Amino acid sequence: MAWNEPGGNNRDPWSGGPRGGKGPDLDDLLKQMGDKFGRVFGGGGKGSSAGFGLLLAAVAAVWALSGIYIVDEGERGVVLRFGEYVDTTMPGPHWHMPYPIEKVETVDVDSFRSVQLKGQMLTEDENIVQVDLGVQYNISDPAEYLFNVRDADLTLRAAAESAIREVVGKSSMDFALTQGRSEIAARVRTLLQEMMDGYKAGILIRTVNLQDAQPPEAVQAAFEDAIKAREDEQRFINEAEAYANEIIPRARGNAIQQVEEARAYRAQVTKAAEGEAERFSKLYAEYRKAPEVTRERLYLDAVESVLTNSSKVMMDVEGGNNIMYLPLDKIVSQASGAAATSGMTTGGDTTRRPQSTPSTAANDNNRVRDLMRSREVR
Amino acid sequence: MSRLKIAAVLLAVVVGVIAVSTFTVDERERVIKFQLGEIVRTDFEPGLYFKIPFVNNIRRLDARVLTLDATPERYLTSEKKNVIVDSYVKWRIGDTANYYRATKGDELRAGARLAQIIKDELKSQIGNRTIKEVISGERAEVMNLVRDNAARAAADLGIEILDVRLKQVDLPANVSSSVFRRMEKERATVAKEFRARGEEQAKAITADAERQRAEILADAYAEAQAIRGEGDAQAAETYARAFGQDKEFYSFYRSLEAYKRSFSNKGDVLVLEPDSDFFRYFGNVQGQR
Repeated sequence: MAWNEPGGNNRDPWSGGPRGGKGPDLDDLLKQMGDKFGRVFGGGGKGSSAGFGLLLAAVAAVWALSGIYIVDEGERGVVLRFGEYVDTTMPGPHWHMPYPIEKVETVDVDSFRSVQLKGQMLTEDENIVQVDLGVQYNISDPAEYLFNVRDADLTLRAAAESAIREVVGKSSMDFALTQGRSEIAARVRTLLQEMMDGYKAGILIRTVNLQDAQPPEAVQAAFEDAIKAREDEQRFINEAEAYANEIIPRARGNAIQQVEEARAYRAQVTKAAEGEAERFSKLYAEYRKAPEVTRERLYLDAVESVLTNSSKVMMDVEGGNNIMYLPLDKIVSQASGAAATSGMTTGGDTTRRPQSTPSTAANDNNRVRDLMRSREVR
Repeated sequence: MSRLKIAAVLLAVVVGVIAVSTFTVDERERVIKFQLGEIVRTDFEPGLYFKIPFVNNIRRLDARVLTLDATPERYLTSEKKNVIVDSYVKWRIGDTANYYRATKGDELRAGARLAQIIKDELKSQIGNRTIKEVISGERAEVMNLVRDNAARAAADLGIEILDVRLKQVDLPANVSSSVFRRMEKERATVAKEFRARGEEQAKAITADAERQRAEILADAYAEAQAIRGEGDAQAAETYARAFGQDKEFYSFYRSLEAYKRSFSNKGDVLVLEPDSDFFRYFGNVQGQR
């Protein structure tokens, strides 16, 4: 029966008891709320309904406004409706239907992200190299990036590690350490992009750099020595060439000098010969004019010169078996001494008489006298 | 009560009912709808769907590509050598129902079982190959074969394997150190070779230069001697021509010169008898002979 039928005791249909009884009185509650808002918005009972309407309108408005969002420059907004992907929005202000109907997730697509890898790995010829790899990438498809792979960035890192090890594993150590760096980086890039595309991760690889490729630290000394050895090889060759470039010109110079000296000698000798020949010829011409006189003169001049310039011991022995005492060694040494002290040989025998060594000049005369005396005694 | 209030209350009720009897499926999710514990439907595209509250409940699973990163393991190659391999698997839920039945949606459990499958497959593939093939020549083949062969076993788990990739393929630490030594020795040999080659070439250059020098000097000596000879011959001829005019006079003249030059020093001692022509008038005013 209806709750406000006469005789029904005005029972509250909800609580089951008489009106105003225990239990939440919903009608009163609403009335109180309406009164409160009515007081805010102004007006009495009737106004409270209007206020309540305004309240609802306000809530609805707020809810609607919550759908406004801004996509920053360099980002994209991925719009999901009830979980289903509907759109990607460009930078700028947008509106989506408020939650729980639609929601938007923004993704930074322009800024480059980077991954750095460092590690030791095996090469094709079972050598070990130390490699430094840098990868730069950005998000090319925000929807794929969000929906297809969990943790796309970590995925990329693991994939890069796998890729570089695969590519280095196919290269020889020399290739990896020297001229192969850019090619290895290119191969890694291709491989990495293939893998990302295979996972549909929505990632675009921008650059791959093999920043460093070194032999492992433990063996670097040996590697450096090998490089040094190559330089040594060149150095040895250069030193030898320098030596060659020194001795050959010097030898040539020497050769020229020898030849020139020979030529000088030749000129000298021929000229001397010519001079002497000329001298002789001229003298001979005079000699022919007066042979005997010339001969005598020449002879006496020569012998005189000889005798004046040397020390003499005169012996005049006329037969007999006399034994002469001739201390030649003393004479010779005295003569040498006299020659030394007198410096130049002079015509006369008068020389200075040093106290220590007896003067040979005076002795010479004494000798001569002594010997002549001795001869006379006989 | 006003109509508005009734409307508001009704609205709240409707919202509540809707909330309990609908669900969304996100792009990143696989959802299983159960009815009283039994799987009813699994193939939900992203969007909004209905369910009966309390009768149906749903379970959400990650639909994205997931990574199983194994710890490095030791495997034996065909040459009976040990190699340490670190790998990862890219997988996702293939058959949702099978996956749930096998793992109750527990990723860790799924991962553990998948890891075992992969490990067994890797053991088999690596065990058939040499180290070099695993590192280099057949690396890609190993990865593809593991993926393909494991796919069947993984399908039983409701798992779809996208990719199996080897990260590290390395020698054990103690072998690494012997590799280092080998590398050092190889480098030392190369270094020695360089230096030996350099020395060899240097010696060749030096020897050649010295040979050239000897030749130059020898030629010069020969030429010089010839020139000197010319000079001597020329002089001799001049002398002969001049002195040949009168051999006897030349003899006399030249002897006198010789005497003068020989005895020119007080150090020379002459022991003489006064019987030469020089002393002709020495003891006799008329001159004795």
